[in-house]
Amino acid sequence: MPFYRCLIPKGSLSYEQREQIAVAFTDVHCDNSAAPRNFVQVAFIESTGKGEVKDSHGRGMLPYDTPYFIAGGNRAGRSTEVKRRILDGCIERLVQISGAPRKDVSGHISEAPASWTMEAGKILPDPGEEPSEWYD
Amino acid sequence: MISFDFFVQEGCVVDEMRSEIASALEGVCANELGCDSGPTAMSWTVIRKGFGFRGGRPSTTSLVRGRIPDGCDPQTRARFLRAVGKEWCRITGATEHEVVVSARDWSWAG
Repeated sequence: MPFYRCLIPKGSLSYEQREQIAVAFTDVHCDNSAAPRNFVQVAFIESTGKGEVKDSHGRGMLPYDTPYFIAGGNRAGRSTEVKRRILDGCIERLVQISGAPRKDVSGHISEAPASWTMEAGKILPDPGEEPSEWYD
Repeated sequence: MISFDFFVQEGCVVDEMRSEIASALEGVCANELGCDSGPTAMSWTVIRKGFGFRGGRPSTTSLVRGRIPDGCDPQTRARFLRAVGKEWCRITGATEHEVVVSARDWSWAG
């Protein structure tokens, strides 16, 4: 369910940087949630630096005006503090790995109820109700 | 109105499959949600090789993100998700571990 689209300037990141960022986002997400690492999806999409991107978990569009933009989508049900830590953590790691100035990175995380998603053939549980077999 | 946004890894779903997927999912919408659910819009985003990761590793997983009319009961939504996933796997050859299917209410703000 965790789905992070990372909008980046064309040609700005090498494969190694993208891989490092994907691992870092996975670390941040899993450090702040009970999601298995294998559930965290990260996609890099090259963009022109400003515009809008369709919200993957809500309605409408997400406007952005920075060269780097993180459009995240997660299960609903986490506290505001946890959501803030996840977004701040992803932004911090993106800045570190890319070398981009902090002012050039922004982001937004949308949410949708867990039971509205099926992964690996199973309807997802709410945060905090993850079955033990997720971690086998 | 129903819409689907597909996020697929480059090379995992060939272009020729798109029309078959569209037809199959329109059938699922009609069967599971009823004929009154309205027309279906679909958009595709291909994630380039080397640009998509799952758990920090290169991904072969597709995401099928649907929006459906408000007010769907949980049992119907679950049936719908399973039917979409089944058709996706049948057509693309993906395993159930290689597709994430969702269906949010049309008016859900996110």
